[in-house]
Amino acid sequence: MPLDTSTYSLALLRVDGRRWNELRRLHAQIRTQAAADGSSYLEMGHTKVMCVVTGPSEPGPRRGGGIGGGAGGQSKDAEVVVNIVIAGFSSVDRKRRGRGDKRTQEMQSTVANALAASLHTHLFPHSQINVSLHVLSQDGSLLAALINAATLACVDAGIPMTDYVAACTAGSTSTYAANDESADPLLDLNHQEEQELPSLTVATLGDSDRVVVLVCESRVQISRLEGMLAVGVDGCKQVRELLDRVVREKGQRMILEGTVEKGTGLNDLD
Amino acid sequence: MPITIHPPKPPRPLISDNLPSDDSDSDSDTSIGGVDLGLPPKKRLTQFTSSPYTGIVTPGEIITPDPQWMRGHGTYIPPQTTDITSSLAGTITRTNKLISVRPLRARYTPEVGDLVVGRIVEVQAKRWRVDVGSTQLASLPLSAINLPGGILRKRTETDELQIRTFFAEGDLLVAEVQQLFQDGGAVLHTRSLKYGKLRNGAFVAVSGMGGGGGVVRSRRQAWTMEGANGAGQIDVCLGVNGYVWISKHVETPAELEGGGKTAAGITNMEENVSATMYSSQNDKVDTETMREIARLRGVITALVENGLRVDEEMLNRGYHEAVEMAMVDWNGPDDIYLGGERGEMLAAALTGK
Amino acid sequence: MPREAEPSLNEKQFVIQALQENLRLDGRELEQYRPLELTLGDQYGVADATLGKTRVLAKASAELTVPYTDRPLDGIFTIATELSPMTSPAFELNRPTETEVLLSRLLEKTVRRSNALDTESLCLIAGQKCWSVRVDVHVLSHDGNLIDAACFAVVSALRHFKKPDTSMEGGVLTVYTAAEREPVPLSWLHSPFCVTWSFYGEQGEIAVLDATWLEEQVRVGSCTISLNRHGEICQISKLGGTPVEAVALLQCSAVSLTKVKEFSTYLDEKLAEDAKRRNKGGLLAELSAENDR
Repeated sequence: MPLDTSTYSLALLRVDGRRWNELRRLHAQIRTQAAADGSSYLEMGHTKVMCVVTGPSEPGPRRGGGIGGGAGGQSKDAEVVVNIVIAGFSSVDRKRRGRGDKRTQEMQSTVANALAASLHTHLFPHSQINVSLHVLSQDGSLLAALINAATLACVDAGIPMTDYVAACTAGSTSTYAANDESADPLLDLNHQEEQELPSLTVATLGDSDRVVVLVCESRVQISRLEGMLAVGVDGCKQVRELLDRVVREKGQRMILEGTVEKGTGLNDLD
Repeated sequence: MPITIHPPKPPRPLISDNLPSDDSDSDSDTSIGGVDLGLPPKKRLTQFTSSPYTGIVTPGEIITPDPQWMRGHGTYIPPQTTDITSSLAGTITRTNKLISVRPLRARYTPEVGDLVVGRIVEVQAKRWRVDVGSTQLASLPLSAINLPGGILRKRTETDELQIRTFFAEGDLLVAEVQQLFQDGGAVLHTRSLKYGKLRNGAFVAVSGMGGGGGVVRSRRQAWTMEGANGAGQIDVCLGVNGYVWISKHVETPAELEGGGKTAAGITNMEENVSATMYSSQNDKVDTETMREIARLRGVITALVENGLRVDEEMLNRGYHEAVEMAMVDWNGPDDIYLGGERGEMLAAALTGK
Repeated sequence: MPREAEPSLNEKQFVIQALQENLRLDGRELEQYRPLELTLGDQYGVADATLGKTRVLAKASAELTVPYTDRPLDGIFTIATELSPMTSPAFELNRPTETEVLLSRLLEKTVRRSNALDTESLCLIAGQKCWSVRVDVHVLSHDGNLIDAACFAVVSALRHFKKPDTSMEGGVLTVYTAAEREPVPLSWLHSPFCVTWSFYGEQGEIAVLDATWLEEQVRVGSCTISLNRHGEICQISKLGGTPVEAVALLQCSAVSLTKVKEFSTYLDEKLAEDAKRRNKGGLLAELSAENDR
């Protein structure tokens, strides 16, 4: 069903009742799997993603003979390996995606490279950080949700990192063909909007303006890029705050329960 | 372990100065977003003493811009600044002028002298590679184990050829961290009769000394305790890395000798050692002891699940509490089960809540 | 699998330090391409693009097939990329490496998803007969910036390609050979080109165009922007790597547009040249006139 964008200009409300700069409900949790080194569960609207991090750990002897034996393991930095499983029931039409699906492979390498840019991999030579992502439900902004979930799980796993890598999507209110110069930018697109409107996924490092990931897969005038990027970067900052809150609440609870000792403040002493 | 996903919570109000404060503003706002890309990023300096979440820092949070402090683990200094910034989610610890962040949870980081339980992953020509739950595999050189036939024997080529007869892949062992490599890798040794291959018992992995509860470093990591309900003595070995071994107590040769004799004792001991040290055969363990081993294992998992630390005192108290709980509500062979509600009851009894 | 030798630490430092001084090993400006050469084949749809030592051959072909059941009104358009061991021993047949997957995804997004080729025009009888246009990309030698060269070759091949003419009369579909009727070009909507930026430095503050293989090995991040000459972005992909200031990315996209315009003009010239060469003495016009009779 084509998206009806004609009403937007009347009420300035999108199909799901949001304004141009509003995120969908972002709900996240860390430490969902007790057995894993790090784990998270993240919802961005109806996009639901689960993440499990194993490592950093040194992989044992490589299967498949001694030719490559340890060649990959001798690197000075830890290697980030991402594996994405998209559940068959995650979208409206049940589609089986094989292992070799290029879109999934591209997302895997994007998430891996994005994390590697922030994680302090030099602290773990010869090791591997395995990030396993499971998509339970898709409703747009999939790559953004995957990046956010992976970041949270890495924080939970206690892997040192420069800052959170927070991601979100941005779009534009009118289609490419409309060639509407006055089109407004939009934040956090859902599936319906993503299908029809130009969109891009942005991930930034912490709350700086530095872009780690920028993916645009639709045709759009170059003049609209600036607006979309600005809104996207702004959205990433909001997402970072939300992720940070999740981690802090969990940490606070752990201190209250006595699992972790309370820290000392710099001002407490001297 | 089960996956726990809580029901959704109502959305939290966003506190962000980037959001327009009132509706009329956003309606009239036809220009691009609320951020100017040309502006330098705002400095975010959270005084953790004044923040609502006291003591917790998260990645990217500036701990202090003051150059008088030194940065320790879990922190970094971004280029061209003097800001000590956290790279972990955790609590701050201060040792004189050294600031480090202890993570809420992380993998085990080895330290010299730690007692660890490990599993052989790989056998190489002159050493074993041991999984100790750390970020890297630890290594156990052939020269760092007690060779059969006497402690003071030289290592020979025959030993190298027979390396698998001492430890093979999958074997569990208890060892001590002897030294650390520059990159954080550990070298183990088992040059004591306390250490060596593990038999006659059960293994349980909990989180170890990396942060986030679990096994903590303490005075005694391995001890023998009396089993209840007619069981024999039970050995507990809490590896600092969070790997735990619970087994039936086997009398060591020294104890058998009574420790009275000298020269003859040592010879005897050596023979005994060579016979049993690297055996992969379990002794006969009677049913009562097995049940109590299983109960102890249950106590440990219950402690971990309820976020309590695992050490000798906690485990002793927990075990007695569990034995009592089993006596109060006798429900047949299930009484060693300590998951779910029963685990919570145990934890509540221990914390006195 | 033999691995590509990595440059040594000193080599890396040398390249990076030189870049910080605005110098490149081959004396180019930071935003300057190596000389781009295009050779169009005698056959329609063969394009051989070279960019310095990087050389990519693209061959377009068409055959009649049955359209996909879920898209009965569209023809089929595929781009096949294969990196063979001929390019580098690190590439293996039938086992796509990450480079290969990313390259084929990029070409797919740039050319196919941006609707550069009107797939509806490839359909002959709805749900029964359509053209299947296929472009095979062969990388003959790899000295960096594979993406830009491959994209240029693909677009050139498709622009150059002509498919056999067909006619529909009374429900009978006739496909004419080249001797019967002059083949017709594909219905082409716009020509997108890729421009790949490589980033260097701690903060990714140095942006370089058309990196060589050595430069590619030491870069900290890259961003490929696909545009056409009308200033329409078809695709952007910065897949991870060191974070780069958003403003810098905007500047990159503006510079990319000028580069794309240069590519576009160059390709138009080459195509015109080729058409002139084929049409010696207005022979073509005569041929088609005969056909009409």
